[in-house]
Amino acid sequence: MARTGSSKSKIMLMALVPLLIWVFAFEIIPVFQMVVMSFQNSDGLGFTLDQYYKGLTTSLYLEAMKNSIVISINSSVAAMIIALFVAYSITRFTTGIRDQLLMVSNMMTNFAGVPLAFAYMILMGNNGALLLLLERMGVEAAGSFDLYSQTGVTQLYIYYQTPLAILLVYPIFYGIRTEWKEAASLLGASTWKFWRYIGIPVLLPGLLGTFSLLIANALGAYATAYALTGISFNLLTIRIAALVSGDIFPNFQLGSALAVILAIIMIFSLVVNELMLRWSRRRGT
Amino acid sequence: MSYVKIEGVSKYFGSTKVLNNISLSIEEGEFITLLGPSGCGKSTLLRAIAGLNDLSSGDIYVGDKKITHLPSKDREVGMVFQSYALFPNLNVFQNIAFGLKMEKMDKEQYTVKVEEMVELIDLKGKENMYPGQLSGGQQQRVALARALIKKPKILLLDEPLSALDAQIRRTLRNEIRLIQRKLNMTTIFVTHDQEEALTISDRIFVMNHGDIEQEGGPRSIYTSPETEFVARFIGNYNVLKKSELETTGARLVSENELFAIRPEAISIFPLAKEGHNMDETINIICEAEVVMSTVLGNVMRFDMDVKGIGITVDALNESKIHWIKNGMTVQIAIPIEECKGLRIPS
Repeated sequence: MARTGSSKSKIMLMALVPLLIWVFAFEIIPVFQMVVMSFQNSDGLGFTLDQYYKGLTTSLYLEAMKNSIVISINSSVAAMIIALFVAYSITRFTTGIRDQLLMVSNMMTNFAGVPLAFAYMILMGNNGALLLLLERMGVEAAGSFDLYSQTGVTQLYIYYQTPLAILLVYPIFYGIRTEWKEAASLLGASTWKFWRYIGIPVLLPGLLGTFSLLIANALGAYATAYALTGISFNLLTIRIAALVSGDIFPNFQLGSALAVILAIIMIFSLVVNELMLRWSRRRGT
Repeated sequence: MSYVKIEGVSKYFGSTKVLNNISLSIEEGEFITLLGPSGCGKSTLLRAIAGLNDLSSGDIYVGDKKITHLPSKDREVGMVFQSYALFPNLNVFQNIAFGLKMEKMDKEQYTVKVEEMVELIDLKGKENMYPGQLSGGQQQRVALARALIKKPKILLLDEPLSALDAQIRRTLRNEIRLIQRKLNMTTIFVTHDQEEALTISDRIFVMNHGDIEQEGGPRSIYTSPETEFVARFIGNYNVLKKSELETTGARLVSENELFAIRPEAISIFPLAKEGHNMDETINIICEAEVVMSTVLGNVMRFDMDVKGIGITVDALNESKIHWIKNGMTVQIAIPIEECKGLRIPS
């Protein structure tokens, strides 16, 4: 029996081979290559920390990192706040409406990148339909709105982060059981005290996890901002793209170093996510 | 003077009536059970007492106080749920202390009380564990302690044992009863398990379709069911129409149309040539064919055929009944006084 079992599992392992080849060819080797290149000089030779030094001291790149992090945090915070309310209200609807709302949310999550940027340009660009309409209606502030600024890009990010946040937050609310609320109220807790002592602490690990996923999602985004502002808006992803393809003097080594830095920032946010999940598992929820 | 009084309570969900003008009263320190199948309204009534459901009409009093419209948190009732409903982010100590903390009691003060409770439920040393690390039985003890610590006026138990294994269920059942007696806690217990109800309660209210079909002590409920529903729900009663009973040879002087006979009240003996020594004035004696016999452990159950009418007979599983085989024709004796006339509920 044991022999059949082990030969059977060997055959099963064979099925993994194509996947392993694929992972090696398109994930591991490129990442390895990237890490190696990040330690080479601009001629692709030797071992040096120059690229990291350049990346971490040049004000252009520092600003890009700052912008990337700020836009990620801002759009994630905004998306989380909106998602908290929307997701909670979704849990209060009937199954039919709930499924439709989730479908819309799912669709919107995938409406990002170039199409989204164009949609925004048409609505809120310099001659955006919505802005013109608002101006005609006498809303003065509409005239001063600049889609191609940090505010504009942040808005786009919020737009595609929110539906993702809703999809991630909504199942977390199902973790709150009605009996907990009932038990708490029988023990003399008001609604506010229930949320303070039970509801929010129970939700927190999941929410923080979602938040770090949103951050990673925003950090890695590239097409949306690029389609909107070209390389004029200073984000880390856009700087990397410029270094490896756009620039007259491409510098793959510096690009690699910046990409490694971006990866480290992302891994950090995912590690936080993992720690939060473990924290919640320890408590047996 | 009764301690808990429920007066003319009705509840509709849309146009469905789930509680039908129910009235009952409970003495202080009494342990009563609401027993019935799912959907009979027992949990709805319990939740109404807790203030988790509102009522369409009627009133609830505890002590002299009318609590019908009070919010849950002001009712001074403790409740234990089927699913334990422990707070997963709090450990055993914090779960039990929760009610006192909500009263803004000092930590020093409530620590003493919580420790007493932990001792009472026999979970010493587990104060720092989280609900997810405890077994079902332990979780339910914590839930019990959490409900009791504020010294509520009534303790409500909503099928607290249903999610547990048979063995733990029996142990915890006895523990609940002991703790209840020790604290003289007025308790309302909801269950669909008749054995549980019979073993634990001072008094049982059997519910069906939003009505109380019968109330009484465990013994009287079990030995003298008043309706067909109670007879079938509470035990394995034979429920026979008057005409059916008469085919067996019975001559009954009774107004009733329906009768219930406990299977263990019937005795079996062989078709002896010399006849039998049973008194025919107090027993119905008739011939029966053994259709099937089932071992239930300490009891043997025989399904008998008496002139086309099915009758179940239970006998203690001892060697003197091992002569009874399937397909055999035997005699059975039904004591006339065990034929309980049933009323047809209005």
